Amino acid sequence: MEHHFQQLYDVMSQVQGYIYPNEIDLNWSILIVLYPYITGLVAGAFILASLERVFKVKVLKPTYTLALLTALAFLLTATMPLINHLGKPFRAYEIMTTPHATSAMAIFGFVYLWYLMVVILLEIWFDYRKDMVVWAHQTTGWKSRLYKILTLGSYDISPKAVAFDEKIGYIITIIGIPSAFLLHGYVGFIFGSVKANPWWSTVLMPVIFLFSAMVSGIALVMFVYMIVSKIRKVKADMNCLDAIAKYLFYILILDFVLEALDQIHRIYVAEESFEIISLLIQGKLYITLIIMQVLLGTLVPLVTLAFLQFKKPTDKIRHTIYLVISMLILVGIFFMRWNVVIGGQLFSKSFYGFTSFKIGLIGTEGYLMASVWIIVPLLILAFLLWLLPPWKKSEELAETVTI
Amino acid sequence: MPQQIRRLLVAFAVFIALFLVLRYVMIPTSFGEYGHYRGRSLEDNAAKPLQFTGNSSCIKCHKSIVEEKSRGHHAGLACETCHGPALKHVTYADTLPHAKLPDSLLLDKPAERKNCALCHNRNMARIKFRNDTVNISMIKQVDVMKHNLVDKNNESLKCIDCHFPHDPY
Amino acid sequence: MSEKKDKTSRRGFLRAGLVLAGSVVAGTVLKPFNGVVVAGEEPKGDTPWYGIGIDIEKCIGCGKCAKSCKLENNVPMEPFFFRSWVEQYTIAKDGSVKVESPNGGIDGFKQELPDDQIFKSFFVPKMCNHCSKSPCVQVCPVGATYVSPDGVVLVDEKYCIGCRYCIQACPYGCRYLHPAKQVADKCSLCYHRIKKGIQPACFEMCPTGARVFGNLRDKSGPLVKFLRDHNCLVLKPHLNTGSKLYYNALSGEVR
Repeated sequence: MEHHFQQLYDVMSQVQGYIYPNEIDLNWSILIVLYPYITGLVAGAFILASLERVFKVKVLKPTYTLALLTALAFLLTATMPLINHLGKPFRAYEIMTTPHATSAMAIFGFVYLWYLMVVILLEIWFDYRKDMVVWAHQTTGWKSRLYKILTLGSYDISPKAVAFDEKIGYIITIIGIPSAFLLHGYVGFIFGSVKANPWWSTVLMPVIFLFSAMVSGIALVMFVYMIVSKIRKVKADMNCLDAIAKYLFYILILDFVLEALDQIHRIYVAEESFEIISLLIQGKLYITLIIMQVLLGTLVPLVTLAFLQFKKPTDKIRHTIYLVISMLILVGIFFMRWNVVIGGQLFSKSFYGFTSFKIGLIGTEGYLMASVWIIVPLLILAFLLWLLPPWKKSEELAETVTI
Repeated sequence: MPQQIRRLLVAFAVFIALFLVLRYVMIPTSFGEYGHYRGRSLEDNAAKPLQFTGNSSCIKCHKSIVEEKSRGHHAGLACETCHGPALKHVTYADTLPHAKLPDSLLLDKPAERKNCALCHNRNMARIKFRNDTVNISMIKQVDVMKHNLVDKNNESLKCIDCHFPHDPY
Repeated sequence: MSEKKDKTSRRGFLRAGLVLAGSVVAGTVLKPFNGVVVAGEEPKGDTPWYGIGIDIEKCIGCGKCAKSCKLENNVPMEPFFFRSWVEQYTIAKDGSVKVESPNGGIDGFKQELPDDQIFKSFFVPKMCNHCSKSPCVQVCPVGATYVSPDGVVLVDEKYCIGCRYCIQACPYGCRYLHPAKQVADKCSLCYHRIKKGIQPACFEMCPTGARVFGNLRDKSGPLVKFLRDHNCLVLKPHLNTGSKLYYNALSGEVR
C-alpha cells in the first residue's frame, strides 16, 4: 500500500490542469488492456475457422483445427486477467450467482460461458471425437485413459456416427458465428456503454471491437501456423497463407474505415469533450495511437497487403512479409486496446486536465504479471497441440478410411 | 437419440445442476429483499460508528462556553467544526463524569493562524460576502500575510490573541 | 442380459438425476433473479426520498466538509481518496478557467491570480450526487452497489468484488477504490447518521449552512423550500443520471 501511495504521489506531481482528486488513481490498468485483447483473439480465430467450415473455403483447411485450438487456448485464459485484477478475486463467483441484468459486465459472464461450453468445446469435441477414439486405442496407459475420458465414453465411430458428428459440428459452427460476434461485440459494449466517458461512449465501439478482433485473431492464426510449421519442419501451405492474407486485407480495410469514421464523426460534431480529446491524441496518446496503432499496426500492413494483391513475390519473400505483418497487426491491435482502456482514463471527466499512467515491473498490475497472461495461453496451446495434434488427425483419417 | 448427444446431455445436465446447487448455496439469504442487493447491507451501512456528535452534547459540560458562543458571530458554527469529532470524548465523559480524560481523547484546540485562515483569509472566491447582495451574515476577511502582528520579542502573534474565537469581533 | 441391466441402471441414474435437477430448479425458483429491476426506480409509498441542496453563494471554501467526511467515515487521509471535496474556480478576465482542489480543499485555498485579473471566482463543493438513475448502480455486475429504498446510493463492502466498473461509470468522479479494503467506496450520505435522525457530517460541520439535506417528498421541508427559493441546476444534466444534488448559482464552467 505504501508503494501504491508513493506511486500516486509521483503521478500527482505530473498531473496537468485539473482532474477530480479520485482520478489520480488510474483504475483499469494493463490487465484490463489484455482482457479485450485476448477475447478479441478468440473471436477472430474462431471466425477464421468458420470461414472454412461454413463458407467452404477449402484452401483454409490446414488452419481450421489450429484456429479452433488457438481460440480455445486463449478463451481459457480470457477471464484470468479480469479476475487477477479484482480487488476481491475470491468473490468473482458472484458474477455468476447474482448477475445484475443491467450490467454489461455481468452478462458477459454468461456470454463467455455460452461461447466456451456450447461453441468452442462442443465444436472441438465433435471434430475430434473420432480421432480421440482412434488415439485411445493406439496409445496406452494414462494417455489412453485421458482420451477415453475426453470422449465421454462415446466410442461409436461407425460412418453413420461420424457423419452425424460432421453435421452437428456444422450446425455448431453456424451458431458459433453470431456467438463470436456477440462475445466480442459485448466486450466493446462494456466500454461503449459508459456514458460518463466520451472516449469510450460511442455506438461504434462494439463494431470496432468486433472488426479489430477479427483482424487480430486472423493475424494470430496466421502467425501461429507459420511458427508451428517451422517447429514441425514442414513447409507452410502458401496458398492457405495467401488466402488468409486476402481475408486479413478485406477485414483490415473495414476495421480501418470504421475507426476512421468514429474519429471523423468525433472531429466533426466536436462535442464538449472535443478539445480535451484532441489534446490527448496529440499528446499522451501520440506514440501509442498515431505511431503504433495507426501507422505500424494498420497503414503499413494495409499498404503491403494491397501491394500483394497485385504483385506476387516469391514464396520466401511472401512468407517473410506475412510473418512481419502478422506481428505488426498483433502489436497494433494490442495498442488499439491500450488506447481505448488507458487512453480513456488519461483525461479527467471534468475535461480540465490529464493524469499520467505509471506501470511497474512487478505487482499485480505490473509488466511481469501481464506477460504471464500472454504466455499462459501459448503454453495451453502447446499442450493442446500435443494432446490433439491436427496434423496427425488428417493422417488418421486417411488410414481409417482405407481400413 | 445418438449416443454422443446422450453423453453430452448428461455432462451438461450435471454441469447445470452443479451450477444451480452452487448458486443456491452461495447467494446470501437477504439478497433480493428490497432489490438486486443484499438487504442486510442496509443495516451494515446504518450500523457504522459515529465520530461527530453535535452541539447538544457539548453543553452538558461546557455550558458557559456554549452560551458565550451563542451570543457571538460564531453562533451558527458547530463546536466540532473547529474542535474535531467529539463522540469518543463525550462518551468517556458520560460514563466516567468526574475522571480526567486521557490525552488521546482531548479535542483539538486549533490556535495557529492557518486554522482561522481557512475561512477568513482574503480570497476573491469568497469576497462576495463583502457586499450585501447575499443575505447571510458577513464573513470578515483579512490578508493573513499582511495582517500579521508581532509581539515585543518580534514573534508572530496568533489570531486568537486578539480575536477571541468563541465570541470574535 | 448385461446390456439390459446396463440400460436400466442408466435409466435409473437418469431418473435420479432428473429428480435432483428438478428439485434444485424448484428450490432456486424461490430465489428469483431480481436483475430486471431497472436501476433506481423511485419506489412508491411514503418512505423518504433524500436529496441534497448546495448553495455555491454561501460556500467559503473552508474545506471543513471534506475534512469532517474523512474523519467521520474513515476515509484514508492520503490526497487521492475523497467522498467529498471542494473545488475553487477562477475565471480570469482573459476568459481562461482555472480549477484547483489541493488536498480536496482540506488545507485551504490560495488565490494565485491578483484581484484585478479575476473576472469571477467561486467554490464548488462536490460529493456523490445520489443519482436516481445512477450509472454506477447500473453497471455493477453483482449488485454490490444500489439505491436504497430512501434514495441513497450505497456500497455493500462485504459483497463488492472490486472490479471498479462503477468508478469508470461515475461521471462526477465520486468513487474510488479503498486502498485497504480493496472495494469501491463512496459517499453514503452518512447513512449511519441519517438513519438516526442526525444530519450527515459535512452538512452539520458546514459553518455557513451552504448545504441543505432533506427529503424531496416532504413538500414543506427545508430542501423543497431551498429548491423553490433558488434557481437550481444539477451537474452534467445531459447525461440524465437523475442527480439529486441541486446547486444554487451553478456557473457554466463547472463540470
